[in-house]
Amino acid sequence: MKLTDIMAGTNVKITDLSTMNDLVRRRLNDFGIMEGSVISLRKLLPFSGPCTIEAKGQWIAIRRKEANCIQVEAV
Amino acid sequence: MITVALAGNPNTGKTSLFNTLTSSYEYVGNWAGVTVEKKVGTLTNKQGQLIDLPGIYSLSPLSRDEGVTTSYLLDESPSMLMNVVDASQLERNLHLTVQLLEYGAPVVVALNMIDVAESRGLHIDERELANQLGAEVVPVIARTGRGCDELVRLTKPEHRTNRLLQPRRFEYGSLLERAISELETKLPADAGPKRWLALQFLEGNILVLQKLRQLVDPAWLQLFYDATELQLKQQTGAKDMSQYIRSQRAEIIDGWLQRSLRETHKTGRTLTERIDDIVTNKFLGIPIFLVFMFLTFKLTFDWIGTPLSDELDALLNGPVKDGIGSLLDTVGAAAFIKSVILEGIIGGVGGVLVFVPQIFILFLIISFIEDSGYMARIATVMDRLMEGVGLNGKAFIPMIIGFGCNVPGIMAARTIEQPKERLLTILLTPLMSCSARLSVYSLFVGTFFKSNQALIVLSLYVLGVVAALVLAKLFSSTIVKGESSLFVIELPPYRIPQWRTLMRSTWEKGKGFVRKAGTFIFGGSVVIWLLGYTGPSGWNVSMDESFLKAIGSVIAPLFAPIGFGNWQAGAALLTGFLAKEVVVSTMGIIYAAPDDAGLSGMITQFFSPLQAYSFMVFILLYVPCLATVGVIRKETGSSLWTWFSVGYALVVAYVIALAVYGTCKALGFQ
Repeated sequence: MKLTDIMAGTNVKITDLSTMNDLVRRRLNDFGIMEGSVISLRKLLPFSGPCTIEAKGQWIAIRRKEANCIQVEAV
Repeated sequence: MITVALAGNPNTGKTSLFNTLTSSYEYVGNWAGVTVEKKVGTLTNKQGQLIDLPGIYSLSPLSRDEGVTTSYLLDESPSMLMNVVDASQLERNLHLTVQLLEYGAPVVVALNMIDVAESRGLHIDERELANQLGAEVVPVIARTGRGCDELVRLTKPEHRTNRLLQPRRFEYGSLLERAISELETKLPADAGPKRWLALQFLEGNILVLQKLRQLVDPAWLQLFYDATELQLKQQTGAKDMSQYIRSQRAEIIDGWLQRSLRETHKTGRTLTERIDDIVTNKFLGIPIFLVFMFLTFKLTFDWIGTPLSDELDALLNGPVKDGIGSLLDTVGAAAFIKSVILEGIIGGVGGVLVFVPQIFILFLIISFIEDSGYMARIATVMDRLMEGVGLNGKAFIPMIIGFGCNVPGIMAARTIEQPKERLLTILLTPLMSCSARLSVYSLFVGTFFKSNQALIVLSLYVLGVVAALVLAKLFSSTIVKGESSLFVIELPPYRIPQWRTLMRSTWEKGKGFVRKAGTFIFGGSVVIWLLGYTGPSGWNVSMDESFLKAIGSVIAPLFAPIGFGNWQAGAALLTGFLAKEVVVSTMGIIYAAPDDAGLSGMITQFFSPLQAYSFMVFILLYVPCLATVGVIRKETGSSLWTWFSVGYALVVAYVIALAVYGTCKALGFQ
């Protein structure tokens, strides 16, 4: 399922990032966010705005388009 | 003289640390090939230099600006690396640390923000961590200066012999180790730290790749890279080489943290979370921001800025002017000289310097927003809107700075990684009503809209923003068609900025404005005064017979449809190209006004309130000032786009002023 489908605050594990824009994916890697990482969704901003995710104590904001590319599974 | 390079992630308090460790600093031009300024400071013990490297998450750059650190490590040989690490974000920060340790220069780790870490329940045993890392680890709180003496002490040469002088070696599994050895043999002896080069190459560091291509056959390198990656994927199931390397490092770092980091239970939601719930709230986010900006303007004009300005004005036009006047009399200066100095120079420059208090307050508030962490939230909240017109949420920040002065605003666009987005931001930032325009507004609203000052000014600022958004949409769908965007923003915990950092930051921004006042406006003031003093018939003519009137009269008719077809307005606008504040200076000279109050009085005879508003709208939009045009040329590297920015602004200004004047007149306003 997509990250944007889950309930905010629950921990999930990333299974796939391959459909994501290359640059964004590399930047997320720098933050330690990659396949196998455990993250949670914090907030979805209105009108398909950015979402904020929490990963290893960091808060990162990315666009909805990219967030839709994050495939996750329950953990 | 030893050189210490300061490197670390963004948002680690690096600037704060830099300020605490240096007694003085200067900008020595840009780093080669980019528009990032090189900042070099002198250590407080006066025995070395501290070079501030831009904040990065990894040595592998995603944009040219991020390549500065790698380029520095490739091209120069620092005596030592000082790595600022955020103690509350240890895992991520240590990834960069590993890369720096592999480089080979002695590394000192400044473990910053330990107080923040402690309050979050993170307890770090720095001695154990130092053992694991094989480098000195100094806990510091840059904000207060704690631990900084120790850091400076460690930069002295005698302390460096105690540490391992060989590059730190981490293991990456047999396959990669074989590949690294193979590549190392191909590198010439003087290539530098070979293992570091090999690892960076395999990680995909573009700059290292470029460097290696000069030393090793590029075709071989490509084959080698692809073959190694393929093998790696087959053997380990890794997605790609850089991710594999990263996960190897993660294991190593994990081992370190298990031995040196103790986490006690976190106590509920942090203050940052609670603030964010309000500030990034669905409904409240943007309104809160608007209120914040409104308060900013209130503070700048009404509450602090203007009263201070008035004091400065009284000083300049009173004691200073009189004092110089009598001095000139004493030395028997000619009437001409006296006139140039008192009316031309003091009148002109003085009329602008009085706005310095307002500008510094604006810059102070902007610096506060940056350092506190609120900027990142603004970029996030505004991103949807920006995305809608083809911009990046990060573009909002240069534009915010543009409200203070377009010049640093445009320079701040460098944080935008994608070239087309950056160009678009640069083109649109001049539409942000800068503080120079403020001096013109101040004059007119003070005269015509006394009871609604803040509101009228706000309307102009909003008009600028709206124009920018509309044009953004237009440009991004036509001439500046974009490529994929990179929007990944870290939202750091809120913090109260350190006073010293704020001051330095404000001063750096304000200095630009003051320098502008000194050079362009000074020179411009004298020239304008001269144009008003001389005419076709000779020296010391009355205003009506001067060159200024002649030039102004030629262009005046063009402005008749938008409400100010008189030569004074025309001449003033022309001089406004030098710097928008000069419009005020010019008017002061043209109307032969003895001071601001006098000028206020004079312009009521030449403008009606509506005409004044139309005039201000035109000033808001018409052309970027000379300094801004210069910066645009430098940042875009293109004359074409620079001319474009001047041209489109003129057109837009005219059209909108026409629309405003026309409709309001039709509606019966005055």
